Amino acid sequence: MLKWWKNKKRFPKDPQVQQNDSIHSLIETLKQSKDFTSDPLTGPTDCIVSYIKTIIEPKFLHKSILPVLKSQQLKDLEEIKDHVPVNNIKITDDLEEIRIRIMQGDIMIRMKETDDRALLIPATTVETRKVSIPEVEFSVVGPKEAFVESLDTNINLLRKRLTLPQLTIREVMIGKLTKTRVAVISIEGIANKENLNTVLQRLNAIEYDQIIDSSFLTQMMSDNSNSPFPQFLDTERPDRVTEVLVEGKIAIIVDGSPHALTCPTTIVEFFSASDDYFLPWHLASAFRLIRLFAVIFSVLSTSLYVAVLTHHQEMIPEDMMATIVSSRADIPFPPIMEVLVLELTIELLREAGARLPAKVGQTIGIVGGIVIGTAAVEAGLTSNVLLIITALAALASFTTPVYQIGNTIRLIRFPFLLSAQLWGLVGISMCMAFFIGHLIRLQSIGRPFFAPLYPLRFRDLKDAFIRLPFSLQSKRPMQTRADDSTRFNPNRVQEKRDIDD
Amino acid sequence: MIRPKQSGTQALSENVKVSPTLVFFLIHSMQVGIGILGFERYIVKDAGYDAWVSILIGGVIMHILLWMIYHILEDSDGDLVSVHNDIFGKFLGGLFSIIFSFYYLLLTLTVIRTFVEVVQVWIFPRLNVWVFTFLFLLLAYYFAAGGFRIVTGMCLFSVILGLPILALKFYPIQYAHLENLFPVIDHTLIEILAATKTVTLSYLGIELLLIYYPFIKKPVSSKKWAHHGVFFTTLLYLVTALVSFIYYSEKGIQSVIWPTISLWKIVELPFVERFEYVGIALWVYVILPNICLALWAASRIPRRVFHFRQRWVLILYFIILYIASGLLKDREMIDTLNDWTGKIGFYVLLYIPILFIIQKAMKKARKRHA
Repeated sequence: MLKWWKNKKRFPKDPQVQQNDSIHSLIETLKQSKDFTSDPLTGPTDCIVSYIKTIIEPKFLHKSILPVLKSQQLKDLEEIKDHVPVNNIKITDDLEEIRIRIMQGDIMIRMKETDDRALLIPATTVETRKVSIPEVEFSVVGPKEAFVESLDTNINLLRKRLTLPQLTIREVMIGKLTKTRVAVISIEGIANKENLNTVLQRLNAIEYDQIIDSSFLTQMMSDNSNSPFPQFLDTERPDRVTEVLVEGKIAIIVDGSPHALTCPTTIVEFFSASDDYFLPWHLASAFRLIRLFAVIFSVLSTSLYVAVLTHHQEMIPEDMMATIVSSRADIPFPPIMEVLVLELTIELLREAGARLPAKVGQTIGIVGGIVIGTAAVEAGLTSNVLLIITALAALASFTTPVYQIGNTIRLIRFPFLLSAQLWGLVGISMCMAFFIGHLIRLQSIGRPFFAPLYPLRFRDLKDAFIRLPFSLQSKRPMQTRADDSTRFNPNRVQEKRDIDD
Repeated sequence: MIRPKQSGTQALSENVKVSPTLVFFLIHSMQVGIGILGFERYIVKDAGYDAWVSILIGGVIMHILLWMIYHILEDSDGDLVSVHNDIFGKFLGGLFSIIFSFYYLLLTLTVIRTFVEVVQVWIFPRLNVWVFTFLFLLLAYYFAAGGFRIVTGMCLFSVILGLPILALKFYPIQYAHLENLFPVIDHTLIEILAATKTVTLSYLGIELLLIYYPFIKKPVSSKKWAHHGVFFTTLLYLVTALVSFIYYSEKGIQSVIWPTISLWKIVELPFVERFEYVGIALWVYVILPNICLALWAASRIPRRVFHFRQRWVLILYFIILYIASGLLKDREMIDTLNDWTGKIGFYVLLYIPILFIIQKAMKKARKRHA
């Protein structure tokens, strides 16, 4: 106890990297790096130009700044500011601002070495990947652009889809060391103010030294961070983000992360794919139902196998009995062991496949799926029937359009297996009841996560398990509590025409 | 003498309240529970196969009681505790409220122990009751500790998940002997009323409204839904009883303890036999709201009366329930428990009209003096 107390005391209250207290010491710190340049300029203008070579655009320096300074004599910073043909130049003596901007790639100009006032010219160049096709949330039809690691590019992808002055982008800096730019995007007049405030409040409350990816925020801002269910939807598709913004939701984009977060979200949103909106409504609804069935199958099938074969053998119909008995006759393990071995094998294959380069990964899948599976059956370690069930369950869990929820489904299978082993079908029921209770309790930025099932909202059910035609979706979902809840006037759309008009 | 109204219920924030529509599920799921699995046998004892009339009469009585409950609550604009305090004063009123708390606790105990017995008899004869009750109660605690909204959610899912089981009635109808029901009404009114008394026990559950009334948004508009809920229960009981009546003979039904579960046995599906296992597993969802809601209400009363922390009361009740259900060992004890709960429940229902009359009388008296 005492030791712990001491340990706690030893930490300084606000762990910060040693801050520089003057511009001079800042430059001293920077000079330790090879790529920092701070040299007096020779020529008519007598000044000192400092910058970090690796993050400024050298062409810009040589073409737009140096010619101005070298061609005429400029006496002070104001004069330079007037002559340099660049926007957003700033003169300041605020050390904090100078530090941030120089680290982001500004060129600093001072008249004398001892000056505190500095002129800052933005000249950043950032290396980014080209916008490419979505790889996690691939769709056959529809737009094929995905977010990249640059915040500005990502906002560009959104702005070009939503040319609205009301599209508001607020920016926060998070992370003591990384100072990551985080953009909160919403449509003013549609998005609920309370939701927006909650998001901003939670972002500002985050205390951490680094924000590397948007998934950091998912974990830090969650209403219940102990839940296996993600309470923010992450997507790499700008079209999907646009769609939810129009519904009145809020998007969060983190600089350096190719995934945007949207909230408030619900459990059903994780099972809806972008494709659903590109297909006619009946097809989309059918595929959604298949996906839902797949998820239920994936979670329950193996535990049902365990429950029936361990506790309720009487339930197997006579005709099926022979098949199951003959396939299980040589297996030395009880059903639960058999299932656990196979499930873990599949999880292994999945992990291996995810870590390996794409080309090798495919081979592993085939080797694992066919060779190991067949060998295990032939060796008498698992039964044929179970192999089919497990493989189908694994396949079914891949049908979720959002990767995050796929992980959840992978995990929650195991509690079901254990409860099936414990009390058969009653155990499965109890486990399911627990998860229903858990989902009812969950919230996404203060809005119920299990909506539109509970609280029951018929309006939102139009776009949940099935997707009704666009003409019926005249209102925005209740979940978002949109300030303006009407999408369009349904009366104008549904004016009926008579025959042969 | 006019006492200030007990506040405390007014302080409920909007986000713990539920919409009036959900009262349908609250009322219905609390009424339907473990009783429906075997109530046919008991009502047949008195009124024979005319007992379906008793079910209808029981339903009508429930509608009247529900109307009274709404009147009582509307006049006091609070819950049972504030009604009691208004009428009987702080001390006596508090005592009566605590009796209700124990009654709800008894209800919980009956449901959970009877369900454990069903599981023991039908699926796991060697079930470890202590472990099973512990985990089951833990589940109920998880819901009840989540607050009223969570409990309501469970009620909703209970009704939705329970509906498919209703479709199974189709199988016994295939083997129906409609002539079982004839001649219609050959029992005396006394016999039918005696069966009505028995059947009211299956309708227990509307009295929980006395506690959760302040948790309803716009309570006046919830009336309609509450009555729909009772009506749906009546209909469900009627269908269940009629199906059992036309399947079993009048003598035969006396020898079956749980006619409904036995009916599940004849369900034939190509991929599954012995359907009663599935039925009992699904029954977890039907009885969970019973347990959660009653447990929540039971622990809510001490909080309102003594201002205890509800969580502590809940844990205390958890322990009481756990020990009590572990100690109830055999079929006879459980039957006695059910019997007692039925009797006490009957008096609780009888108490509602009395409360109604006292309150109305006092209101009139106060008006005259004011």
